[in-house]
Amino acid sequence: MRGTSIAALITFVVLVAIVLITPAGCKQQWQATFLNTVAPLFHATSAVTQGIGGVSGGFKKLDELEKENRDLKAENAELRTSNSLLKNLESEVNRLNRALGYRERSPFNLLPARVISRENAAWWNSCTIDRGSADGVGIDMAVVTEAGLVGKIVNVGKNASTVLLVSDEGLKVSVSIEGTQEQGIISGTRASSNYAPDLRIGFISKTAEIKPGMKVFTSGTGGVFPSGVLVGTVKGFAIKELEGVATVEPAVDLTRVQDVFVITGVR
Amino acid sequence: MIRFTFALVLLIFFASIIQRYIPPIIWVKGSAILIAPALLFYGCLTLPFPSVLGLTFFTGLINDLLTVPFAPESNYAIGTSIVLLLIPAMIMHGFSSTFLRGQWATNLLLAELAAVLTPFLLLGQYAIISFERRAFFYNDVIMWRILGPGVIAIVISPCVFLVLAYLSDLLRYEPQLEQRPRIERPRLG
Repeated sequence: MRGTSIAALITFVVLVAIVLITPAGCKQQWQATFLNTVAPLFHATSAVTQGIGGVSGGFKKLDELEKENRDLKAENAELRTSNSLLKNLESEVNRLNRALGYRERSPFNLLPARVISRENAAWWNSCTIDRGSADGVGIDMAVVTEAGLVGKIVNVGKNASTVLLVSDEGLKVSVSIEGTQEQGIISGTRASSNYAPDLRIGFISKTAEIKPGMKVFTSGTGGVFPSGVLVGTVKGFAIKELEGVATVEPAVDLTRVQDVFVITGVR
Repeated sequence: MIRFTFALVLLIFFASIIQRYIPPIIWVKGSAILIAPALLFYGCLTLPFPSVLGLTFFTGLINDLLTVPFAPESNYAIGTSIVLLLIPAMIMHGFSSTFLRGQWATNLLLAELAAVLTPFLLLGQYAIISFERRAFFYNDVIMWRILGPGVIAIVISPCVFLVLAYLSDLLRYEPQLEQRPRIERPRLG
């Protein structure tokens, strides 16, 4: 081995050791700084991918129209296109209205945010939102939509934050099941055959009367998540050797969620 | 060489970001499309040893900063991927002389070897998480989450290699075979 290679190897080993033994707080700072650096790229890529989605949707519509009405006049096509654009706008307005209504009704101080990047890792479920410390976002704040719980903030940059989703295996949330005295810890699954994974509540009493359709709410134990936030609906209940295990369908479609709220406090 | 290494660093950085926006492939149980490993492995075949180490360090660190949520819940220390990536990177670097001497068929085979090594990082991550969470379970979804990116890379790797070969021509980078020191054998008799 030549001298330069040996020097490179020693440098590499030293750098890896530094990275691995650096205290957690320092690494969190690195990740926050990195998030600040790449946040503009996330914003730009998110805008481009939304644009591409819109364009391809438009082509599909035109294709369908061509099949149905080959001899349709140009002005008619134009009217239909504008009509479809208005419909999209209407659904957007409805969606925002629902979000606004929830914000006004909610007992919490809610900070609206938009998902700008969705994590594609095999073993972790997280996403990035467009709000950061400049907007008052902090570590461990709960993230919700009008439909229910989304996750919690695990990393905060100046203008962007990382949300660990409730579907992640590592995120444990204390929950209670509607209509019963049962309480448990809900978590996601590491890998599910479904693209939108189900959640799992373990350590439930074997004699619990849990039926599909029952709602699951956060219990507020632990202090991170406020109580009473809908997490999902029971899909099934199985009795194992030592415990009962409930499968829960998340209230929020975590694969498509766009607009979220960060709970910054209680009113 | 510096220009080509810098170009690879930039490509790995942008590929790591773009990967986030490519939706998982449903027909392979939600497997992700990974481009960055193919870029790293091409660098391992064409760059000298010190640059390979540098590139591996950069790729591993960027991967962890982008994909691992910093929380105790992630059960995975930032920087671990550097160590995990070092193993396939060194295997690929071992074939660098074969690659530089080789014909297109050999190079195609090495591109496929890169595809085979793509899931190594995911396998390592899975093993570490299972150990940390003391929960080892295995099903066909997990198998596909690990092997799926490799299956997809069978198609992607040769394309990436081809593009990078053009790029190295464009940047006038001609990879050289590393001079290995000759071992003097003692004369008998």
